[in-house]
Amino acid sequence: MTPLIELAGVTKVLKGQQQPRTILSGVDLTVHSGESVAVVGRSGSGKSTLLSLVGLFDRPTGGQYLLHGRDITRLSERRAAALRSAEFGFVFQRFFLLKHLTAVQNVAMALVNGQGWLPRRKRKARAIAALDRVGIAHLAKHKPPRLSGGEQQRVAIARALVREPRLVLADEPTGALDTETGNLVIDVLHSATERGCGLILVTHDWDHARRMGRVLRLQDGTLADAGPEEVVRERAASVGGPDIGGLAAGAAGGMLGGMVVA
Amino acid sequence: MIRLSGRARSALIIGVQGIRARKLRTLLSMMSLFLGVLAVVAVQAGAEIGQRALLSDVELVQGKDGTLRMYLPPDPHTASVAIDALKGRGDAVASFTTSATIGEPGVTPINPGGAPLDRDNNEGYAGPAGPVFCDSRGYCFGQPAVNQPKGAAIQLSLVAMTGDIRQFQPFRPVSGQWLDFASAPSLGPRIVLNKAAAIGFARYRIPAQLSVGSGVDATPRIVGVVDDGNDQPTAYVRTDELLNWMPVDSMSNGGGLQVMLSPAATGELQVLRTRLIAAGIPAGQLQVEPIDAKKHIATELTLVRRVFLGLAALVLLIGVGGILNVGLATVGERVEEFALRRAVGTSRLLLAAIVLAETLLTGLFTAAAAVGTGALVLKAASTVLAGREPFLQDIGFPWQAGAAGVIAGLIAGLLGGLIPAIRAARIPIASIMRA
Ligand SMILES: Nc1ncnc2c1ncn2[C@@H]1O[C@H](COP(=O)(O)OP(=O)(O)OP(=O)(O)O)[C@@H](O)[C@H]1O
Ligand SMILES: [Mg+2]
Repeated sequence: MTPLIELAGVTKVLKGQQQPRTILSGVDLTVHSGESVAVVGRSGSGKSTLLSLVGLFDRPTGGQYLLHGRDITRLSERRAAALRSAEFGFVFQRFFLLKHLTAVQNVAMALVNGQGWLPRRKRKARAIAALDRVGIAHLAKHKPPRLSGGEQQRVAIARALVREPRLVLADEPTGALDTETGNLVIDVLHSATERGCGLILVTHDWDHARRMGRVLRLQDGTLADAGPEEVVRERAASVGGPDIGGLAAGAAGGMLGGMVVA
Repeated sequence: MIRLSGRARSALIIGVQGIRARKLRTLLSMMSLFLGVLAVVAVQAGAEIGQRALLSDVELVQGKDGTLRMYLPPDPHTASVAIDALKGRGDAVASFTTSATIGEPGVTPINPGGAPLDRDNNEGYAGPAGPVFCDSRGYCFGQPAVNQPKGAAIQLSLVAMTGDIRQFQPFRPVSGQWLDFASAPSLGPRIVLNKAAAIGFARYRIPAQLSVGSGVDATPRIVGVVDDGNDQPTAYVRTDELLNWMPVDSMSNGGGLQVMLSPAATGELQVLRTRLIAAGIPAGQLQVEPIDAKKHIATELTLVRRVFLGLAALVLLIGVGGILNVGLATVGERVEEFALRRAVGTSRLLLAAIVLAETLLTGLFTAAAAVGTGALVLKAASTVLAGREPFLQDIGFPWQAGAAGVIAGLIAGLLGGLIPAIRAARIPIASIMRA
């Protein structure tokens, strides 16, 4: 089966202050339809940069990028925009809702992007359906300042899902939320994959990472599988706790989730 | 409705949303542009109205644009030849101007020399007493003043016409009627006064006694008053009715002989020339010139118009600056929104179009508001001032002014939106991840 996306030896070199900086030095990544992948890594390791390449915000410096087996490494801006609209959905740490629009208008905004035209009533129906999928159809008429953080993030997820994308790219979507709300948001994202949609989740939260089908770690510009022990070690490190081998086995089994927090 | 493409509709929808989200800001950016467009509209409307007013005044006095005019030399034969040649012709009219006195016979008129009557003290007028004759070159000569007692008489120019001269000089009716050239001539000459002459009749008790030249007296019937744009008291009369009272030869004496022809009346012109030459008038003295009323005013108006357009352009520039300023500030503020829109699939080009759509719509709204305001002000002014300035009476809003305003608004929107649009299109999408 053709993978949804396939990155091979992708590099990204950014213009630094003095000399060019290599952010990604050869990333290999394959994601299939309906598969969920977590990407973890230190701050500044290039996770957002990787997502911006996958989501066609930016172009890689080298390597190859296939979408459904088709090479899209070098695309015109116009076709990249069309693919962003049709293939990808984006969720960010900050929700980026437009303050002057209601929830339903914020979702419908992804349908008013010059890629095809839907009459107002159809736009509204689809936006309401997307809001319903994330469980907040009743808040359709509310403007962002009247929504809680979790509700705002769910509006943003509805916006990402409204065009039925093949791959959702989420860059720390729970970063600005408390644990409980964060879990809810991950539930919502996870349920999208049950409908055959791929998901790449960038997160610092190992509890969330564990719930994805695979956990990958970005380090020194490359991606590698992160095993269960490493997951636990990272988690312990990230919360400043001791790196105890005994804990690792338990956490990997999902038993001691929240208890490691000192 | 015009079917717009999905992209154009998207740009419009987002543009309107953007404007509605920033009403105060949009209003502020509109202010200077509003004044600029209003200035453009005012200049354009003022020029149009001024041109119309000037043109109608010039046409009253000089004749309509394009009319052919031929001055006839003072010669005993010219009058009779012209009257004969133009008899019954609709589009060519000969007119003869002589001096006449209406009122008590044998007295010095109230306005010796046919001076305007609306001056309070006519005694101060230094013109010659008695009839004054002017030739076509503007050379005037008077008769020596006769010592006569001052009495109830008005001296005026008497213009005798072979046909209706209003087709060339559109006199405005003031009261009564105009001369009826279709009816049979009556024995008592019917005359129409101009406003300057009517003043005298309103102010003094003037007996209806017409003296033309030396001692020819008739009893005229004043049938109406017109505005002919002339300060000199003037009376208009049918040639055939006047000829009952004075010989045709004496009409040529006055010197004010001219023929007006419509541009199409080449046949009449040919006949008239031929017959005048046959009567012994040298062909060199029969010059025909077209009246160029528009050109006459155009030169007067051009300078004023340029100065005002220059000012309007300046104000408009400030308007562009206002839109540009607000547009740039807005782009800076909306970096996230624009990056987000690109992230969800809006192309770079469409994003630029959205920013332009906003400023163009702002320009268009502003222009519409300014043009509407201009039209309302003009309407109010014409209603209030119509009594004082008759040319304002039935003036509509000149469409050129409206068009100029809308174009100015669109240009300002385009110029003011271009740089913000380019900036917006350059925002990297990835900036949304580091915001
Ligand atoms: N436009 C840019 N020009 C130069 N360097 C950049 C630019 N954008 C990002 N970087 C650098 O690239 C590196 C990777 O950034 P990136 O945002 O991908 O990290 P990240 O893994 O998402 O970090 P975080 O977890 O803190 O979000 C960082 O060191 C950053 O300073
Ligand atoms: Mg990041």
